[in-house]
Amino acid sequence: MLKIKGLVKKYGKFTAVDYLDLHVPKGEIYGFVGPNGAGKTTTMKIISGLMEADRGEVYVNDIDVLKNQRKAKEVIGYMPDFFGVYDDLKVTEYLDYYASIYKINAKERKKICDDLLELVDLQDKKDAYVDSLSRGMKQRLCLARSLVHNPELLVLDEPASGMDPRARVEMKEILRVLKDLGKTIIISSHILPELSELCTSIGIIERGKIVISGTVDEIMQQVYRKRFIKVKIKDKTEECAKVMQEHPLITNIIKGENSIEAGFEGSEEEMAMLLKELVMRDIPVISFGQMEGNLEDVFMKVTKGDEA
Amino acid sequence: MMRINPVLQKELKIRMRGWRAAGMIGVYLIFMTLTASFALIMSMDDYYRSTIDPEVALGSYIGLAVMQLVLISFISPALTTGAISGEREKQTLDLLLSTPMTPLSVITGKLFASISQVILLIIASLPIFSIVFLFGGISVIELLQLFGFFIIIAITFGSIGIFYSSYFKKTTAANVMAYGTIAFLCFGTIFLTILYLGITRNYGYKGFFPFLYANPIIGFTSILWDQVGGGNVNIFPGLIFGNTAAASHISTWIINLLFNIILSIVLLILSAKKINPLKERHRGRFYLSRKGKK
Repeated sequence: MLKIKGLVKKYGKFTAVDYLDLHVPKGEIYGFVGPNGAGKTTTMKIISGLMEADRGEVYVNDIDVLKNQRKAKEVIGYMPDFFGVYDDLKVTEYLDYYASIYKINAKERKKICDDLLELVDLQDKKDAYVDSLSRGMKQRLCLARSLVHNPELLVLDEPASGMDPRARVEMKEILRVLKDLGKTIIISSHILPELSELCTSIGIIERGKIVISGTVDEIMQQVYRKRFIKVKIKDKTEECAKVMQEHPLITNIIKGENSIEAGFEGSEEEMAMLLKELVMRDIPVISFGQMEGNLEDVFMKVTKGDEA
Repeated sequence: MMRINPVLQKELKIRMRGWRAAGMIGVYLIFMTLTASFALIMSMDDYYRSTIDPEVALGSYIGLAVMQLVLISFISPALTTGAISGEREKQTLDLLLSTPMTPLSVITGKLFASISQVILLIIASLPIFSIVFLFGGISVIELLQLFGFFIIIAITFGSIGIFYSSYFKKTTAANVMAYGTIAFLCFGTIFLTILYLGITRNYGYKGFFPFLYANPIIGFTSILWDQVGGGNVNIFPGLIFGNTAAASHISTWIINLLFNIILSIVLLILSAKKINPLKERHRGRFYLSRKGKK
């Protein structure tokens, strides 16, 4: 769906995006994580046709974004990190205005606006002036605006910034619905745990370069070169620990009262074999699974920060 | 079916909402009515006669036309200088430019939304101007000619406003620059002509100095001069009313209109170029191709 090859953007001597390569397959939610000034917004603006690249290629659905802007903009929905609204327009008029820009006829526009307001849960505000909405509502309205032309790719630059926890949860729910609708989404955020829950893949960007990219599990494996598993048992903790210690792929065992955490340097199939072995040795396993990665640790590990 | 520019449609909806537009027309018509009444009273005071003199009508006509020009000169830039800088200040420009709408469509939509308001004011003043038909001396064609001139002037001043609005981030700066440029066209051109002829000691300059064709006041005076049938008058070397462009046989106001149209087109294209986020593409590529690949 989205392919970026060798993207470069310079502001004078400062290189904001430095030969960036990225591939986001159709239907994925790709999280774009990075410290401030890493090049997230610049990359997103280039994808959305709001900024010129100095070099490189960007393809959305095989459309060359840098050469065929108009066609590309028809399949991209963009939501910036900071945006304003027209204070003299009502909510439905606001959506209708953007829909008319995409040459959607008046009859269809009405249905689209109603559907989108239902999606973002703003039906009861349809006749309210946009300026009277809360920040969270405006963010949701802006998301609805980016969907008026039913784009295939959504580029969302920090869509949950400045929202209270409830509004964040609501925004996440909407994004899940969009994921179910088959939209490809590229989303940037500073809230790393949120991205790990929501995104199918994540890319960590620093100084204009993708430092690491993949699913959360893949990233954890790349960084720590192993998985972390947690086994909960009814009893026989010592016996379980002994079995695990003898396993060639297990490292760093931490014993709890009725649980054991350990590093595991194997594949998912090998993990299944380990579970089978535990069960065959009559160890009363209550739960067995991979521990969720701590993305913030990964982020701190792979990014160097300004001082580096 | 013809599709109306969405920006124009939205702007008209917002601008015509509430009492703001009606209030503006009301105040405008009060100004025009007061001017017409004042001009009529002043003209009649001089005569004290019961018969109607066409010169009374001409006095009112000229008074109304001058007032209309002054109002248009102030209103047109005021309505356009916030068009693009306002979108930037409100952070809505990026949203607009992320759509397939071309920068030129955005610019023209904004301009015509503002100008349509000015055109509405001009049309609303038509009944007041029609007072002159009671007295005679001015034909309908001549009145339409003057109104056409006003519309072009409104577009030109509006384009100047839009141009500065795209180049300056703040509306205040755009306002200052727009009014400064209009003042330069109206008075600066005269000053520079006098200065140039003075420096070159060309006091006996025959004909119309080309620089003055850019002056809207001279264009306006020329159209009224032609309509009321004024003779040849040499105001100062380089500025003649009457049969001015003798060589070309084209009236000064027509050349001024052509200048205004060309100026508007150039300013609108430059404004569209300015707000186009993709303007640096070729320069950037050239720079990197010279530096070589990493």
